[in-house]
Amino acid sequence: MSTMETHPFRHATAPHHEFGRPNFLRVLNSERIKLLSLLSTRILLLCAVALLVGFAALQAWGIGQVTTTVRQGGQAGPRAEALDAASAVLHLPAGGVSFAQLIVGALAVLMISSEFTTGMSRATFAAVPKRWPVLTAKAVYAVVVGFVLTYVGAYIGGLVAQPILSNYNLHLDMASWDVQRFMLLNAVYVAAVALMGLSLGALLRNSAGAIVTLVALLFVLPIIFQLIPGDFFTEARKYLPTNAADAMFEAGTASNLQNAAYLEPWQGTLVLAAYVVVLLGAAYATLQQRDV
Amino acid sequence: MIQAVDLAKVYGEKTAVDGVTFTVEPGRVTGFLGPNGAGKSTTMRMIMGLDAPTRGTVTVNGAPYARHNAPLREIGALLEARAVHPGRSAYSHLSALAATHGIPAKRVHEVIEMTGLGAVAKKKVKGFSLGMGQRLGIAAALLGDPQVVVLDEPVNGLDPEGVVWVRNLVKYLASQGRTVFLSSHLMSEMAQTADHLIVIGRGRILADAPIEDVISSQGKARTRVRTDRPEEFSRLLAGSGVTIQAPEHEVLEVSGLDPRQIARTALEHQVLVYELTPLQASLEEAYMQLTKDEVEYRSGDAQTPAAAQEAAR
Repeated sequence: MSTMETHPFRHATAPHHEFGRPNFLRVLNSERIKLLSLLSTRILLLCAVALLVGFAALQAWGIGQVTTTVRQGGQAGPRAEALDAASAVLHLPAGGVSFAQLIVGALAVLMISSEFTTGMSRATFAAVPKRWPVLTAKAVYAVVVGFVLTYVGAYIGGLVAQPILSNYNLHLDMASWDVQRFMLLNAVYVAAVALMGLSLGALLRNSAGAIVTLVALLFVLPIIFQLIPGDFFTEARKYLPTNAADAMFEAGTASNLQNAAYLEPWQGTLVLAAYVVVLLGAAYATLQQRDV
Repeated sequence: MIQAVDLAKVYGEKTAVDGVTFTVEPGRVTGFLGPNGAGKSTTMRMIMGLDAPTRGTVTVNGAPYARHNAPLREIGALLEARAVHPGRSAYSHLSALAATHGIPAKRVHEVIEMTGLGAVAKKKVKGFSLGMGQRLGIAAALLGDPQVVVLDEPVNGLDPEGVVWVRNLVKYLASQGRTVFLSSHLMSEMAQTADHLIVIGRGRILADAPIEDVISSQGKARTRVRTDRPEEFSRLLAGSGVTIQAPEHEVLEVSGLDPRQIARTALEHQVLVYELTPLQASLEEAYMQLTKDEVEYRSGDAQTPAAAQEAAR
């Protein structure tokens, strides 16, 4: 403190030419610093990867057990399960996505809701009064985190599952297009969930509220729609994000879900995209209009 | 320079700021004084483009805040709430803000040193005291080396050393020709820091003048008299235009008569007077006078301004 008193404002004037105006790359850089400087980000990302890997390992073990039972007992297990072993192995690397999506979704919510709950938003939007570049930069990171994390987590999960499957004489070829396609489509889906979470966070400005809404949309509504009898709910259920995504995952496969409960793959993809576009559009409109 | 013209903000039923017009000039410290809930913070958020005015305009250096190409270079602000994520370090917080304008890391270190945060810069803001949080807010405000500095209640939570530091800082910034706009509900702080005063109450401007003028316009000259016969002497002094208060035993506060007239009365009637002191009207009294009808949240026990002052002494 004594040096401060001797030269209290030594540096108070800095040359102006060193300063620039905010452009998108600078905002992107600022958001990167914000995202990576929080311990909670790193913990959530690690949890999501651990979940994907752990789930793949567990599933490998489970599939192996069922297959062994079927092989030994002949008619012991339900026949369908034995037939599906190949398809189950195919889907195994991305098996943990239904849970990992919640962590990524929650992280995306927090990316923007924490700005408002902590008051950081005042500093953020004073620095970038145009506001939209901030949400766009966050959306870029939400997509990158959602996509890369899911793909990498699923890939590691697949690698961990391979030796376990070998024990049961089952084979998982990570390089096969069927496996790759399913992983990539899941990565796209999680990126979409991240964008939905980010939008809800920006709309509600409340971490708990936005996370609960996201969980309701992804988990609770599909169950409720299934429980309520009636054609309307059977039909409407197809248009929920998770069910639309399930339809999308069948893209390019020979064995489409030949099931009235699902949309065509291209329809599912469009429905999922519509959720993202509508929510994100509302988030942009709200952010520009509302007081910070 | 900050210019507000007929600036108003209405939240549903409640009018927070009711058509204020004022100019904050460069080269001096302008105090923004008003009771809690008077509209100070709302006005400052509108200056920063964070809240949209319901009516009217406010410009910074000639343009609305959001129109500036590099806003952090035009105006830096410390706003009421601590605008920091508690899980981030002071250094990361400032770096993230600096990155938006391409402000070099060197400048981040400069403002950290300038505000005395060097020792705690890498620690999470969560553990900061109120005073350190204020210093961090001031560091963020100065990051872009702005021409206009807006500080909302900057001395809140600061220790005496910090208060003196803020006082010197704002005076220094003003001496460099910058515009300094400082809000407070503490009149004593304003009396020592501000050159010019804008007083606000219930969303309206009550006074906009140099600080001496605000004091002289409101306070009446008074004289403190100590005597061993206060009751008798009060009766002798009483007359039209004269008010006498007895704040404590053997003390009278007389207004409407100058010390010479009081002394003459004492001499004529052989009353012992052992103190005769002209009292300067304080900013505090001027402020109480100005805002007595405008206080949003009055304390339950109906203290008179004079009694409240006595209690404060």
